[in-house]
Amino acid sequence: MMPITIHHFLAVAAILFTIGVFGIFLNRKNIIVILMSIELILLSVNINFVAFGAQLGDLTGQVFTLFVLTVAAAEAAIGLAILVVYFRNRNTIAVDDINMMKG
Amino acid sequence: MLFFGMPIEVLALFFPLFGALITGFFGRKLGDRASQLITCGFMLALSVVAVMQFKNVALDGNNSSYVLATWIQSGDLRANWSVMWDTLTAIMVGVVAIVSTCVHIYSVGYMSHDKCQPRFMCYLSLFTFFMLMLVTGDNLIQMFFGWEGVGLASYLLINFWFEKESANNASIKAFLVNRVGDFGFALGIFGCFMLFGSVEFSAIFDQAKNFVGKDIHFLGMTLSALDTVCLLLFVGAMGKSAQLLLHTWLPDAMEGPTPVSALIHAATMVTAGVFMTARLSPLFEYAPVALMAITILGALTSIVAATIGLTQFDIKRVIAYSTMSQLGYMFFAAGVSAYSASIFHLMTHAFFKALLFLGAGSVIHALSGEQDMRKMGGIWKVIPTTYVLMWIGSLALAGIGIPGIYGFAGFYSKDAILEATYAAHSGVGEFAYWMGIAAAFMTAFYSWRLIMMTFHGTHQGDHHVLDHAHESPPVMLIPLFVLATGALAAGLVFFDYFTEKEAMERFWREALLVLESHPAMENMHHVPEWVKLAPLGAAISGIVLAVLFYGPWKGVPAAIARAFGPVYTLVYNKYFFDEIYNFIFVKGAKVLGRFLFQFGDNKVIDGLGPDGISALSKTAAAQVSKLQTGYIYHYAFAVVIGLVAFLIWMGRS
Amino acid sequence: MEMTSLYPVASEIFLACAGMLLLLWGATAGEKSTGAITVATGIAFIIAIFMAGHYETAKAVVMGGHVGSNAYVLFIKVLLLLSALASLVLSQHFLKSSKLSRPEYPVLVLFATLGMMLMVSAESLLGLYMGLELQSLTLYVLAAFRRDNAKSSESGLKYFVLGALASGLLLYGISLIYGGSGTILFGMLHEVVTADKPPVELVLGFVFILAAMAFKISAVPFHMWTPDVYEGAPTPVTAFFAAAPKLAGIALLIKLLYGPFHGLLAQSTPIILVLSVASMTLGAFAAIAQSNIKRMMAYSSIGHVGFALVGLVAGGQEGVQATLLYLLIYLPMTLGAFGIILSLRRDGVYLEQISDLAGLSKTRPALAAIMTVFMFSMMGIPPLAGFFSKFYVFLAVVEARYVWLAVLGVCLSVVGAYYYLRIIKIMYFDKQMEGFQRVPGWGVASLLGVTVLFILTLAVKPDWALSITHDAAKALIG
Repeated sequence: MMPITIHHFLAVAAILFTIGVFGIFLNRKNIIVILMSIELILLSVNINFVAFGAQLGDLTGQVFTLFVLTVAAAEAAIGLAILVVYFRNRNTIAVDDINMMKG
Repeated sequence: MLFFGMPIEVLALFFPLFGALITGFFGRKLGDRASQLITCGFMLALSVVAVMQFKNVALDGNNSSYVLATWIQSGDLRANWSVMWDTLTAIMVGVVAIVSTCVHIYSVGYMSHDKCQPRFMCYLSLFTFFMLMLVTGDNLIQMFFGWEGVGLASYLLINFWFEKESANNASIKAFLVNRVGDFGFALGIFGCFMLFGSVEFSAIFDQAKNFVGKDIHFLGMTLSALDTVCLLLFVGAMGKSAQLLLHTWLPDAMEGPTPVSALIHAATMVTAGVFMTARLSPLFEYAPVALMAITILGALTSIVAATIGLTQFDIKRVIAYSTMSQLGYMFFAAGVSAYSASIFHLMTHAFFKALLFLGAGSVIHALSGEQDMRKMGGIWKVIPTTYVLMWIGSLALAGIGIPGIYGFAGFYSKDAILEATYAAHSGVGEFAYWMGIAAAFMTAFYSWRLIMMTFHGTHQGDHHVLDHAHESPPVMLIPLFVLATGALAAGLVFFDYFTEKEAMERFWREALLVLESHPAMENMHHVPEWVKLAPLGAAISGIVLAVLFYGPWKGVPAAIARAFGPVYTLVYNKYFFDEIYNFIFVKGAKVLGRFLFQFGDNKVIDGLGPDGISALSKTAAAQVSKLQTGYIYHYAFAVVIGLVAFLIWMGRS
Repeated sequence: MEMTSLYPVASEIFLACAGMLLLLWGATAGEKSTGAITVATGIAFIIAIFMAGHYETAKAVVMGGHVGSNAYVLFIKVLLLLSALASLVLSQHFLKSSKLSRPEYPVLVLFATLGMMLMVSAESLLGLYMGLELQSLTLYVLAAFRRDNAKSSESGLKYFVLGALASGLLLYGISLIYGGSGTILFGMLHEVVTADKPPVELVLGFVFILAAMAFKISAVPFHMWTPDVYEGAPTPVTAFFAAAPKLAGIALLIKLLYGPFHGLLAQSTPIILVLSVASMTLGAFAAIAQSNIKRMMAYSSIGHVGFALVGLVAGGQEGVQATLLYLLIYLPMTLGAFGIILSLRRDGVYLEQISDLAGLSKTRPALAAIMTVFMFSMMGIPPLAGFFSKFYVFLAVVEARYVWLAVLGVCLSVVGAYYYLRIIKIMYFDKQMEGFQRVPGWGVASLLGVTVLFILTLAVKPDWALSITHDAAKALIG
């Protein structure tokens, strides 16, 4: 069986990151999907950190992951709060409707 | 003697600023009369000091310099805020102070029906202050400050009657066209700093000759360093002094009140470019290509403007084109290294052109605001004093005199320029000489065309206007007498100082530099006799023809216009410069817009602006803001595109 | 651990404590405490300025190497605190009259400022990330502060989504850099990067960070959020956005380019060049088509960022100094212009359309005159301060032999002059509408006075500005 190396971790993380980024600009339906895409990006970053940390035998990567998790929680909370405020004003969370200001 | 720690000749330069600040802030409380008294008082005081300084510096040779403050000091860059008194400064300060004082006093009468007189006086004084800063600096930065300051004041003054749409557009046009020139000037300053590591005149002049033959590389081209820098600086001069290509703003600027035209657009600001070439003569002397370009452009300007002047009907526009033409003379004189003659003409021109403008203002004032010469005529009996003054101004402009005995101011300075140009014995000099002779003929012709159409014949306008016509009050006439004295005597009195070899050396000292290899001023006394007489002959024949055409031979001008139909149309429409510029910028913008964006919407938003540039900008703006769709995914996409582009760039290495 | 070892970050620690206390106070005392908390926040800013000036003068790195201070950081922090204070002063009347006066507003401003200070004093990628997130999260909330307004919540949402994307890019970049170098400390990174051939992960990671920073300072093509957020956010928040975060972002970018990633400076200069040219161009052209004055200010600020980046393209101590000088002058100009916008009221309603300025010179001549000064200064007309800032960046870039960039920059500033001029034209020459109200309160009035004085007098005595920016740039590079 093929051993799992650092490169596999990195490849998974890169794929997740790409899916996340694409999720933001390909999705035209629902803002919740965008929020999930953002989480995906952050998770891919965490995989990177943990994998690098393990490979380097250095705790910094793990500690950084914890910080990222904490901040991600705060970020999600704020994002959802803003979304709720927006929904109250406009009664929609369709991405295509967020278009009052342009030009 | 010191005042506030400054010698009086330095403090006096701030008098106009004091006047401007007082009337600017307290004008409404002070009222019209007090504002006028304050500004005029300060200006009179300045004039007294300026005349004393002229004697002290130019005639007695007491140069001085005074550093007000260290302005900028950072790394290599050093610039002082300073006042440098040498002969050139003394002449310029004298001219600016005297003409400006006359215009201030004249304005008291001319603007007496206006609602905002304190504001007007404030702007005039502010302008004067900036102009003084421009001419007294000892470095390029201070010159640029004054340069922009006078531009700003000019903008405010052209737009003084802002209810007029045309004044509005004219002021914006003047501003924008001058930005093009200033842009060249700014680059020239950068270039100087790059080459010489300094923006101070003394440091630049000391090093200039070491850079002869040095090249700079720009966009793959190899250019002569000094020529490039000088040409860039000259682009600045072209904008301010309305030379061909950047001249379109000057005629339009006539929308401003007439005293403004006299002060800014005839006597002082527009001559700043000429002043610059003289001030920087130690630099320009080593830039033969730049000098050649100045000569050619100056000569072309003088002839083109003169031809347009022949066809115009607005009394102020005729004089404006005449100004442009005379500025061309000054430039081609500078181009053949006859800086002294150039400054001589600058000085005499300031007197007689301000006289002509203020005289025209007096006519307009008398005729309740009428400016079209086709609606004038037969008013010399009504306003005889103005009539005589206009004759004096026109004789000076045409350069009439009896060789060896007496001449009006322009006779000496224009002859000096033309003789020196001929004596340069170069191809471009020859070209400029003949252009100058032709322009001299036309100058005389349109001057007497103006006099004949305005003052003689029968009145063509509304007879109610004629009934109300009246001679101007003394407060307007006294400044005219002062200027007329200048137009009568300035040439005769100063002739030697500006042209005679030994007197010149004592007079100018180090203020100008002329290389041995550019002997135009030396040789001008040894030109053939016909060269000296040709300008006078051209002028007299111009006068005679004009008097005949607009007197007894009434039908001839119209017949000529018909016979030369296409040519006349071309000249009457000012060679279509405005139309060409509009075509290039507006149409060009449209084509470019279609090509670049493929959006299809070619309508220029909100109609056309005052200038082509604004139309170009508006089109581009509309297209750019279409990219801003408002959708999050487009924004995110832009971020990703940017990121990928950068990744590719960095990954490639 | 001795207390003295925390001196280099004394002002941050103080602000963090003060912020939490004020938050508690606000949460317990409710809306009636808003006034007192605002005043307390202002006082906290002033104290922080003094603490920064007193304790943080020496060059030092503390807290396990994650934060530190030097003269450069100190300079930026003081400027940040001053602009935060100014925008707090500006906001007061607007918030009261718009019924937005809630205790969390000043506290949010405080935390955002704290985040920005941490960004510039960070000495590791972790410190940088924490500071940046603290700043971003609070700014999202501030943008959506007007909860009952659709535009405001839309701007908050847009800012959040795109800001989170930028944070994601930043983090991904950091993780790559960590993998490539094995460290997140600036000091050690510097050594790895300057080595002969830095690992490829490191280079790519740095590009991600550059992109995220470009987003924060709204450089083209990462600028798209700016106009919408500026338009939708409550005006005092927009004023804050236009001032402090821009400064913090560019300051951090400079610190990264001349600190840990100095070895990549030559490679990344073309990227900065592209950002700069694109921002100047777009800022100059797009602003012309705007009718909303806040939106116009957004494009104007994009253009100004482009001009500031010109100094970075020039590089070296002179270039950095030019950029710092540009920012130093940009801040009061922008805050002052927003002070005017926040003074434009008719029947108690705040005006936002450019056409609303018509006839301002008749009813409020002083306001119109001050706005004219700001507009001319933004155009770069001497002798106003804005001329100096442009002059210096162009001078620096000419000395660095990018003559064409100076040419282009001057050209674009001519185009930009058009829309500033248009505002002046509308104020002075367009037909007057009914009257404007007085300037709301002494706070805005005194801020206008101070900023306009700054703009007018800098030309006469620019030495001090040159000397402090010189010292700051020298501390970073010299």
